[in-house]
Amino acid sequence: MIDAGVARAGDAEGPAVVYPASVEEAAEVIRAANRTGTRLIPAGLGSWLGAGGWTGPADVIVSCERLNAVQHYEPADLTMTAGAGLGMAELDDVLRPNGQWLPVDAPGVGAGTVGGMVACGVSGALQGRYGAVRDNVLGVDVVTGAGRVLRIGGRVVKNVAGYDLVRLFTGSRGSLGIITSVSVRLFPRPEADVTLCYGGGTTEIVALARTMCTSPLPIAAVEVEAGGENGETVMVRLLGSVGEVEEVLSRLVDSVGPKPRAIVRGDESAALHRDRGAWEEGSALVVRLAALPDRLADTFGRGAALAGALGGEIAADAMSGVVRVKASPDAGRDGDVVRELSRAREEMEAAGGTMTLSQARGEVAARVGWTGGRGSDGGLGTRIKELFDPASILAARCP
Amino acid sequence: MSTPAHALASAVRKQEQGLLNCVHCGFCLPACPTYRRLGDEADSPRGRLYLMQAVVEGRLDPGAEAFQTHIGRCLGCRACEPVCPSGVEYGHLLELARQVGGNARRPPFLARMLLRVFGTAWLARPAMFAGRAMRATGLPTLLTRILAGRRPPKGARLAVAMLAASAPPPPLPGRTEGRPATVPQRETGDKPTVGVLAGCVQAGLFGRVNQATVRVLQANGYRVVSVPNQGCCGALHAHGGDLETARSLARRNLEAFEAAGVDFVAMNASGCGAAMADYGSLLADDEELAPRARALAGKIRDISQLLAERGPVPGGTVPLKVTYDAPCHLLHAQGVAEPPARVLDSIPGLEVVPLPGAAECCGGAGIYGLTNPRLGGWIGSDKVQSVLGTGAAALITGNPGCMMQIGAGLALTGAGIPVLHLVELLDESYRRGGLYGEVDR
Amino acid sequence: MVPVTLAKSLVEICGRDGVILDEERLLVYESDALTAYRHRPGAVVLPRSTDQVQGAVRAIAEHGLPIVPRGAGTGLSGGAVALDGAVVIGTARMNRILDIDAPNRRAVLQPGVINAELSVAAGAHGLYYAPDPSSQTACTIGGNVAENSGGPHCLKYGVTSRYVTGLAVVLADGSMVRLGGQGRESPGYDLVGLFVGSEGCFGIATEIEVGLLPVPEGVCTLLGIFDRIDDAGQAVSDIVGAGLLPAALEIIDGPTIRAVEDSVFAAGYPIDAEAALVIEFDGMEAGLEHDAERAAALCALAGAREVRTARDEDERMALWKGRKKAFGAMGRIAPDLLVQDATVPRTTLPSILRGISDIGQRYDLVVANVFHAGDGNLHPNILFDRRDEHELERVERASKEIMQLCVDSGGTITGEHGVGLDKKHHMDLIYGPDELDAMWQVRRVFDPGGVMNPGKVLPEDTGPAEGAGLPEGIGGD
Repeated sequence: MIDAGVARAGDAEGPAVVYPASVEEAAEVIRAANRTGTRLIPAGLGSWLGAGGWTGPADVIVSCERLNAVQHYEPADLTMTAGAGLGMAELDDVLRPNGQWLPVDAPGVGAGTVGGMVACGVSGALQGRYGAVRDNVLGVDVVTGAGRVLRIGGRVVKNVAGYDLVRLFTGSRGSLGIITSVSVRLFPRPEADVTLCYGGGTTEIVALARTMCTSPLPIAAVEVEAGGENGETVMVRLLGSVGEVEEVLSRLVDSVGPKPRAIVRGDESAALHRDRGAWEEGSALVVRLAALPDRLADTFGRGAALAGALGGEIAADAMSGVVRVKASPDAGRDGDVVRELSRAREEMEAAGGTMTLSQARGEVAARVGWTGGRGSDGGLGTRIKELFDPASILAARCP
Repeated sequence: MSTPAHALASAVRKQEQGLLNCVHCGFCLPACPTYRRLGDEADSPRGRLYLMQAVVEGRLDPGAEAFQTHIGRCLGCRACEPVCPSGVEYGHLLELARQVGGNARRPPFLARMLLRVFGTAWLARPAMFAGRAMRATGLPTLLTRILAGRRPPKGARLAVAMLAASAPPPPLPGRTEGRPATVPQRETGDKPTVGVLAGCVQAGLFGRVNQATVRVLQANGYRVVSVPNQGCCGALHAHGGDLETARSLARRNLEAFEAAGVDFVAMNASGCGAAMADYGSLLADDEELAPRARALAGKIRDISQLLAERGPVPGGTVPLKVTYDAPCHLLHAQGVAEPPARVLDSIPGLEVVPLPGAAECCGGAGIYGLTNPRLGGWIGSDKVQSVLGTGAAALITGNPGCMMQIGAGLALTGAGIPVLHLVELLDESYRRGGLYGEVDR
Repeated sequence: MVPVTLAKSLVEICGRDGVILDEERLLVYESDALTAYRHRPGAVVLPRSTDQVQGAVRAIAEHGLPIVPRGAGTGLSGGAVALDGAVVIGTARMNRILDIDAPNRRAVLQPGVINAELSVAAGAHGLYYAPDPSSQTACTIGGNVAENSGGPHCLKYGVTSRYVTGLAVVLADGSMVRLGGQGRESPGYDLVGLFVGSEGCFGIATEIEVGLLPVPEGVCTLLGIFDRIDDAGQAVSDIVGAGLLPAALEIIDGPTIRAVEDSVFAAGYPIDAEAALVIEFDGMEAGLEHDAERAAALCALAGAREVRTARDEDERMALWKGRKKAFGAMGRIAPDLLVQDATVPRTTLPSILRGISDIGQRYDLVVANVFHAGDGNLHPNILFDRRDEHELERVERASKEIMQLCVDSGGTITGEHGVGLDKKHHMDLIYGPDELDAMWQVRRVFDPGGVMNPGKVLPEDTGPAEGAGLPEGIGGD
């Protein structure tokens, strides 16, 4: 049916995988799917296959693995354009020698691809300092669910020509089209990278995290972890010039909060946060609870209750008020899991917050819904979904 | 004497040059008290300039309701000028626009009458006398107390309260300290000679401010000479668009102050100060008078400038919490911001708290309360609320119009916060400090 | 003039003083800050609440008239110009800050709040609103949302869309939707991000939630003086390439320097220089000096005649004032000006600047440049006198050539001013028919009837084809 490489994933019963090597080939796949009513799942390296799209069985996985070239990189412009299949780790290898980085610490960042990062649009704890995923995507090439190739945005850092469709595709979880190429904004790699680690009881560390968040000092990220092997920990990350970071460090140690349990510097600090990013990897069920940052104690409590029920761990990005819950592999029967998740969503939404599924098996996602209540957009999301994927080959509905 | 048609043509020509500088950037909008309250582009400086431009282009009749209403609604506070990056001389354009508008349609009777009174000495004197006599009965003060309430000050209520507000303030807290061991003496060498513009309202209702002005100038080493034959500065006429009367009043003052041979003309009414500093432009078309007018304009100083120039010398303690409101014609039209602050800072014991919105017009704006009672009342009560919010025990400013407008507004709230002229306060400090050589004068 | 029945309902909804119907009073609404276009609206309404906006939108839509939202009218692309007798809905009276939520570093505002005043109010809590368009003392947040405004400091901090976290939007049918809100996380499509920068074509934002940042402890501002503008452009590339991240990098060219110095905002730039480069760092005092020294050294290396450091807040403010008011100061050189807004990759700046100067010479036009060099966002100001018809024509041709030059280098036609009326016919320089069609269709999702700000952003000849969701011959089954 198409020239692009086709392979079976896993056993012969699983969906076929196609590997388009160009945007044109990807468009061919989609057009063919439109003709035949084939259900597609776009994927990078497949690390976030459970993050959107079809909740039931799909027919074909469209992998962007072969679309992995660095298409344009001029270091002094602080921008890069790359194929969607370029791995985040490979991207970092290209940027590092030039003293630059893409400070998007999306969960699962070590294994995922640039395209997957944009499609999921989930931001890590550095979003307060450097902006969320959507703030750092300058342009994308996509093939819409209708088979149209759109090259939107650009590779300059300021661009208001026309409507911002780049934002629409960022975080659309593959429901509108397949992202084939991405232009991102880069930053100079900070001279100094230091993390202060604090221990304590849950109440204590959540309060400490809030204190850090409201401090006027330039703190890059505040993360809280509980239930894992490290016990309850607050990690306060400082990034910047040596002079600035050392100054903030000494002020934090001298006058804000208790004495840190450890101070980790340089590569060790970076590695610590890579671990936070990779924390979700391999888990079949990751839930994201979010509310205003000053409700952190409540959100954390809600997350802890859920983690208790699902036998999992929790990690929080305190500056954004986001609490992630990772369920253990034996979280329980689907029915119980769905009931717990639905209750968590209800409670979060009642308090003005949200609960979304970052990773979930289709069965659970189908019954709980990826994102939950979105009653107030007047159906705009649904109409946009219908516009770009009219034959529903990418997803049944908007996420 | 030019005919109205000639004046119109020349005004239009001047407008065209000035108006073209406006790039329509809109930076003036938030600076304009009327735009801030009404939110209508036509009530903004940019909108008014656009209307003027439309008249110049022949697209709009100056008699049209739109032109009359929106040009008429301008306070003339000139807060738009300092924020204009293109340097549009809005104040001048407004005067020309009012002249064009006034020629197209006669201004209201009351406004014309009032201007007539100010410009004519034999009418002004009895009017001011009547005002003082009325004030002396205590009736306005009493009425103001009765009329106090939350409604915005306007109409007859405002008029009565304004008259009451022009009365001398109650005694200030603290006490006389007696004569210092040595009265600070300014070096007696060449004392600059200063003439004081007596002003109409100032002379009529604020005689005490004029007297204080003379005393504080002398205490700071100035030689004050009397200037006979001076008269109204013409500010209100120019603002109203009656440029002919304004010019003839300017000519009279020019001759009077030239004859007195002064180094500086001290102004304690910033509206008058701005007008006299502008005599050069007002008389620019008169070849003979123009250079002389420019020379006189160069000698115009606000009283705060002359005082700040000399320190001013410190006096006795006045333990009072005050706040300062900047008169528009001092701050925006003349760009005098620092000197009043320096004078206040020099007074021992005085606590000066900032007034939010101090740079915004109080709504007095000459005869604005009469021509636009509702909007004037609105702007005025905002100022009053702002003053009350500071918790100050007295408001200090530097223009009789503002003193009466804000004083009336404050009196009608029944809050008992007096309004003092800057020199009144300094004068009291000097009296307490014994700088006038006697404990009780 | 609008129909009497519409006038009557508008007055019922917004009050007599909230509706402007008089032809002569409507004159002042002909233009925004781009005076090249003049179109008188059919009426202007000045609502005070979301309810009034909804009522007005319904009434106007029922009469089949188009609607143009307007903030302070400081836009530079003709976005607030009312074509075809459209009714203007002005937000000037919706100017209340509804909430400053300091613990969550956010604020909720009505659209008519002035940008700079938000920062003043937030300042009481040690916070500020980062996007600072040059017109920030006058422009409104609602207008910033519509245009996705930038400003000198978005080099480090990003543009408006990064800070808008929630919106209440009145759509073309008068219904109200709530998008995002309660912080950054919002599930589903990023409709807030999509709405920001939609130039009034998707609806009217009547309530806006924005993020605030803590005020940095210290600021250090440098001024490099250059005899050649190329050298200044090179210095910018060098500074960014060296890994420094200034809060702002701004270039002011010779003609602009002379205009500013001649205005009330004279900032003390030498009038014989051909470029001034403003460099600003912010952050902890401890790190600033080091960054500033490195930047100064790089300027010197690129050929700066001298590098000054603003020693106190007054000097710093004066320096910025000159930059920020440069646009208005141009009024002193010529009666009309056309501001371009193209963005190019930073490294191409020196060659693009030479190219623009060549185009100016070829068309015998004065082009004054003042721009956000760190972002590669150029603002060539073409100065002219509209009363000279031949000159006007040259301006249009030069303008298009400059845009083409910037697009060819990998740039875009507008970085922060928006497309509006002014640049819609240049959209095809950067987008093909498929992209333009997709934009048309998204616009129709928000506004099926084409009521909101018609005639802006997208060229009509690229209008949506019927059933354009799928390419020909393909249908879902």
